[in-house]
Amino acid sequence: MLVLLLSHFGLAASVPFVARRLGRATFVLAAAAPAAALVWAGFRLAEVVSGGSVTASLAWAPQLGLWFALRFDALASAMVALVAGVGVVVLVYCSRYFERDEPGLGRMAGLLVAFAGAMLGLVLADHLLALYVFWELTTVCSFLLIGHRRDEESRHAAVHALLVTTGLGLFMLVGLVLLGQAADTYRISALLAEPPEGGPVSVAVVLILLGAFAKSAQVPFHGWLPAAMVAPTPVSAYLHAAAMVQAGVYLVARLAPAFADVAAWRPLVLSVGLVTMLQGGWRALREDDLKRLLALGTVSQLGLLMVLFGAGSRTAALAGVAVLLAHGLFKAALFLTAGVADRQTGTTRLDGSTGLWRRMPGLFGAAVLAAASMAGLPPLLGYVGKEAAYEAFLHEGVPALVLAGIVAGSILTVGYSVRYLWGAFGGKPHTLTAAPVPLPRVLGLVAPAATLALASLGLGLLPGEVHVLAAAYADVFAGGEEYHLALWSGWTPAFLLSAVTIAAGLALHPLRQWIEGAVVRVPDAGAVYRATLRGLDLAAVTVTRRIQVGSLPVYLTVILTTLVATPGVALVSHGALPSTLRLWDTPVQLMLGLLILTASAGVAVARRRFTAVLLLGAAGYGVAALFVVHGAPDLALAQFLVETLLLVVFLFVLRRLPPRFLEARQRPPVSHAGAAALAGLLGVFVGGFFLLAATARRWPSVSAGYLDRAREAGGTNIVNLILVDFRALDTLGEVSVLAVAATGVASLVLVAWRGVGGGDGDPAMTEESEKRRRRRLTPRAREAPRRRWLAAPYGPPLGPRSVLLEAATRIVVPTALVLSAYLLLAGHERTGGGFAGGLVAGMAFVLRYVAGGRYELTAAAPVRPASVIGLGLFVAAGMAVPGWVGGGEIFAGTVLEATLPVLGHVKLVTSFFFDLGIYLVVVGLVLEILTALGAQVEEEGGLAQ
Amino acid sequence: MNSQLLAQSAVQAPHIEYGQLAPMLIVFGLAIAGVLVEAFVPRRARSAVHAPLTLVGLAAAFVATVLQAGTHHVAAEGAVGVDGPTLFIQGTIIALAFVSSLLIAERRPDTSAFVSDAASVPGTQEERESLVAGDVQTEVYPLTMFAVGGMLLFPAANDLLTMFVALEVLSLPLYVLCGLARRRRLLSQEAAVKYFLLGAFSSAFFLYGIAMVYGFAGSIRLSEIALAVSHSGGNETLLLLGLALLGMGLLFKLGAVPFHSWKPDVYQGAPTPITALMGSCTVVAAFGALLRVLYVGFGGMQWDWRPFMWGIAILTMVIGAIVAITQADVKRMLAYSSIAHAGFVLTGVIASSSQGLSSTLFYLVAYGFTTVGAFAIVTLVRDAAGEANHLSRWAGLGRRSPLVAGIFAFFLLAFAGIPLTSGFTGKFAVFAAAVAGGATPLVIVGVLSSAVAAFFYVRVIVVMFFSDPNPDGPTVAAPSLLTGAAVAVGVAVTLVLGVLPQPALDLAANAAAGLFVR
Repeated sequence: MLVLLLSHFGLAASVPFVARRLGRATFVLAAAAPAAALVWAGFRLAEVVSGGSVTASLAWAPQLGLWFALRFDALASAMVALVAGVGVVVLVYCSRYFERDEPGLGRMAGLLVAFAGAMLGLVLADHLLALYVFWELTTVCSFLLIGHRRDEESRHAAVHALLVTTGLGLFMLVGLVLLGQAADTYRISALLAEPPEGGPVSVAVVLILLGAFAKSAQVPFHGWLPAAMVAPTPVSAYLHAAAMVQAGVYLVARLAPAFADVAAWRPLVLSVGLVTMLQGGWRALREDDLKRLLALGTVSQLGLLMVLFGAGSRTAALAGVAVLLAHGLFKAALFLTAGVADRQTGTTRLDGSTGLWRRMPGLFGAAVLAAASMAGLPPLLGYVGKEAAYEAFLHEGVPALVLAGIVAGSILTVGYSVRYLWGAFGGKPHTLTAAPVPLPRVLGLVAPAATLALASLGLGLLPGEVHVLAAAYADVFAGGEEYHLALWSGWTPAFLLSAVTIAAGLALHPLRQWIEGAVVRVPDAGAVYRATLRGLDLAAVTVTRRIQVGSLPVYLTVILTTLVATPGVALVSHGALPSTLRLWDTPVQLMLGLLILTASAGVAVARRRFTAVLLLGAAGYGVAALFVVHGAPDLALAQFLVETLLLVVFLFVLRRLPPRFLEARQRPPVSHAGAAALAGLLGVFVGGFFLLAATARRWPSVSAGYLDRAREAGGTNIVNLILVDFRALDTLGEVSVLAVAATGVASLVLVAWRGVGGGDGDPAMTEESEKRRRRRLTPRAREAPRRRWLAAPYGPPLGPRSVLLEAATRIVVPTALVLSAYLLLAGHERTGGGFAGGLVAGMAFVLRYVAGGRYELTAAAPVRPASVIGLGLFVAAGMAVPGWVGGGEIFAGTVLEATLPVLGHVKLVTSFFFDLGIYLVVVGLVLEILTALGAQVEEEGGLAQ
Repeated sequence: MNSQLLAQSAVQAPHIEYGQLAPMLIVFGLAIAGVLVEAFVPRRARSAVHAPLTLVGLAAAFVATVLQAGTHHVAAEGAVGVDGPTLFIQGTIIALAFVSSLLIAERRPDTSAFVSDAASVPGTQEERESLVAGDVQTEVYPLTMFAVGGMLLFPAANDLLTMFVALEVLSLPLYVLCGLARRRRLLSQEAAVKYFLLGAFSSAFFLYGIAMVYGFAGSIRLSEIALAVSHSGGNETLLLLGLALLGMGLLFKLGAVPFHSWKPDVYQGAPTPITALMGSCTVVAAFGALLRVLYVGFGGMQWDWRPFMWGIAILTMVIGAIVAITQADVKRMLAYSSIAHAGFVLTGVIASSSQGLSSTLFYLVAYGFTTVGAFAIVTLVRDAAGEANHLSRWAGLGRRSPLVAGIFAFFLLAFAGIPLTSGFTGKFAVFAAAVAGGATPLVIVGVLSSAVAAFFYVRVIVVMFFSDPNPDGPTVAAPSLLTGAAVAVGVAVTLVLGVLPQPALDLAANAAAGLFVR
């Protein structure tokens, strides 16, 4: 079996390559694979009708329980006969049907064989997932074959079929997985032997049925099948009449023995089947395109098959197998005749041609036979099946409604059978192409259709043989009387019903104009499908417009809302306020808190950037003041200094930006109220977060041991000691980052400036010229002559000169530098340290810069900032060496004490040098930034002048 | 840390298992070598040095990873876990990085994906000059290697601080790389800024989460957190808050909804080879880290994080699939598809079992290679203005170059999860694991989203094959050896993992069998 399957796919892969040489004969070559399958099945038939089976399996992904397990039994043999038999006939038909120069012949032949292989695999599969794989393969083949013509209509039809069948196929996959999990096996044979039970099984069965309904074009998923008629006729005959659409029915037949008694099964299958049967039949009577008429007939017949197999009784199953075979044969035959008629007359419209029966009697004969089988006339196979169907529902405990539905559906079937014959072959007074043209002989096209029609007749004359095969499947259903498929079972009620059916059906034909005009409209499944797609599109557009606006504030809003919603909820629901919570220790804290809150709120509502920066600074000073209140002067000092320095840096940056934030006419992407609410919630969340974090201590504080260690290290300022001694390595890392950041900021500022002014006539800018340029921008000290209050004669960068400022600078700067030196030296024992000292010194230089400009700065600090940074890093890192060389830890501190002649008793802690390094790096950083920003500012000023 | 520890006079030299860390060390070594190349090799020769260096180095790192197979050990003083899942993930990342590097190294005349001079302002004389001079920003290589190194460390990190460092090491170079597209530079730079800002937020969340969890457990080591969780019953504010914040940080990197908003913009704006890198390696690394955090650190409080993850997974699958429908840009569509796929993988993560772990691992491999292959194809479809990413430009591609369109269709079918592609096997594996783990509703949502997703994949296929080509439509650049190799690897893996997945499944199952080392 595996070889058989592989030969299909092997052939499918290879025929496109020989198609160019063989032309239409490719199809005959392709027919070899299904022919082989037919012969193989013929040899094994005796074995399976006696109840045996042939099995084979191949590991695919055993770990996931995926096997290609195959099993050939009675039901499979009926399907194989149909799939392979019709496959051979259709392929032979193709070799005459297509024009010699039809594009894509090889592709078409390959796809048809691949489809035959997939279908074979589907009916042979003994593993739920192998079945699913083949199921999807048939869908993909169908998709590609429907889209063969590549025009707009084909495209829509192909997509429609694919989406409906794969979409619901995925539901089926879930059902299959649920079933497999519930039964702990994916083997269909094992599953049928011991059907699992329980809630998941019901769900699984419903999901699987949905997939089967879609595949077999049941209401409400049937819309794709009529639309698929844009495919070439042989494709319609094979995929959309005989083989693929039967897959859903096959699956129902396969699972019915085990699951027909699941509560949801019968109501679902019977009602859907009946509605489908009636709806398809009714619409077929109103259809005026031959192929679509046949397709709607197929829909109707598939509904009948659903009812028969889904009923889960022996007689119904016997009828099911008979109708399955009959339908495959007669519907394929009718499609093939429709294809011939199409080729000969150039139209598939009912009113497109007239009197074809006279011109093509052979074809007409075949069509009559097939249509008679469809209508259920004796002695054809269709009659045998319908008799059995009536019998099944006459006697077993099912609602009479089902029987009535089937009879009504069969009456419609007779009606559209006649309509087809009349439309394709009959003589009509008003036709579009009345002129009879001479027709070429097309034996090669008529013969395949005739073969299938004669097979209907042959099997109808041999009901006993069909019964043996059908019973081999149907006998799994217990109970029911011993019904035999037969042409003549006596004057039974079923026979009488058949007679009534045929008579009533024939009576429908004269009423055709009334039916065509009748206002009884049934909902169009195509419209449902289109509406679904439109709805999906609309939903997608709406969702996209809401959530994917490309605006950073919106994205941030979403993320922050999530933050408030999830961790925030956890905080509120679980967090309890500590019982020892006090609102404040001193009223000063309250005042400062209010200051900080007001300033922060002010930042948010400020229109001008400058205002916002000032308010930000105010909030920062407030925080620093809180530090003071809490007895942390070091922190407070650093905070004050950083805030001040930042203000200056902001000033430089703000010059490049518009003074106001948003122009009034611009609508913000997030509404102000929403943003304010979110910000408020976020503030509460962060507040709660820190409250929780601060009160949730359960481990001893790390600072407990620091006092002892500080004494050991010879200092009293723990903050400073942590920085320069205990965790010196960390600090070294931090100052290195600071140095890198300074360099980075400077180069970014210079690069950005270079980019803006890049068009100023230096076309071949190389790295060399770039360096020269930088040197030009960094003035040397000796260029600056001395005069007046300040050292350099040039004006300030940000506004007019101010004598007051110059004088103040002259006085304050030396004082500040002394203060910075004091802070540096005092750090070990009292508030201060290298960082604070460096910042104060930096501020002194900032002041000089603000008062006198870049040259003033150079005069004040006649060194290159980068050198200062480098020296600082060198000194700081160098402090690692003594301890290391001395055999101890790196950065180990030593206290040196000595009594010197003039200074008296001097105590020197080696970590002081480390602090000095920090001091230098910070000063260098400030200088570097000032130089870079200042260069840019003044160059622009120069350009502006 | 307590006072006694601080008081120790001598620091013990840490014991480093260099062999077990070799993959990461090699990749970081490559990154540093790349920086040295930038410093000392003449400008014109840099590309020629970087590309072979990178590829050979990654191959060596892959070998080093394979040699570690079977290790189950906590290395580097408890900072790095070397175990089956980690090695599997690392091997995957290295292999995917190798394929992405093939794309990065692609340098046909005028088709490099990277900017000539990142510092020049778009549209200026200077930019034109550097274009004329044929400059290329070769820093891409060391940046990529730093990012890949971070990705290798991310899922291996056995304590949260190491994980945070890895997160930053992988993120920062990516922020830069995103802004280096040669065409449509403003878009690219905007993407980089967005990615950076949102990424900074997520990193901050992650860091705060670490602080909270540390406050709860008194340790940042995952195994000790697990111990503390098992003692407490897991119902503590600090813990819940910390876990939620950690989760937000990790989910951001995955691009799970509602932290996904950066993904489409960034995928679209970034140079396509970098998109391929992010779409495959970053996702794999982020899932690796998420798995480790959830399985090792917080496995004891599954019942707390499961509902949250359920919600995230459902949102991610549904929104990813639905919004993808409206996309008219191939890269954006693939971005949303990547979001939806992140949701599918999350269903495997939620299964929280050995089966869930192994299926997740398998899915990541399958998805990663298909993604790289798909983006490789995207680099090939070009017109005068560079890559032609608008879907309407792809109309009729199947007629003009059936092979490229056919391969892309194959990748799309794999994304859709059609049988006999790796996508089906992967999806089936995670869904089966989720059903076994009691997450059937999640699987049903997953299947529904797959159906929606199949819709837009098919739409692209239809546009390519059943439409008439534009007369002035894009041409398909003949794939060079490098891009061709990347595409070929993508096709081969997608096909093999679909048709003969058992060896890979075995590998994933073996890797997952021992779970993560604690």
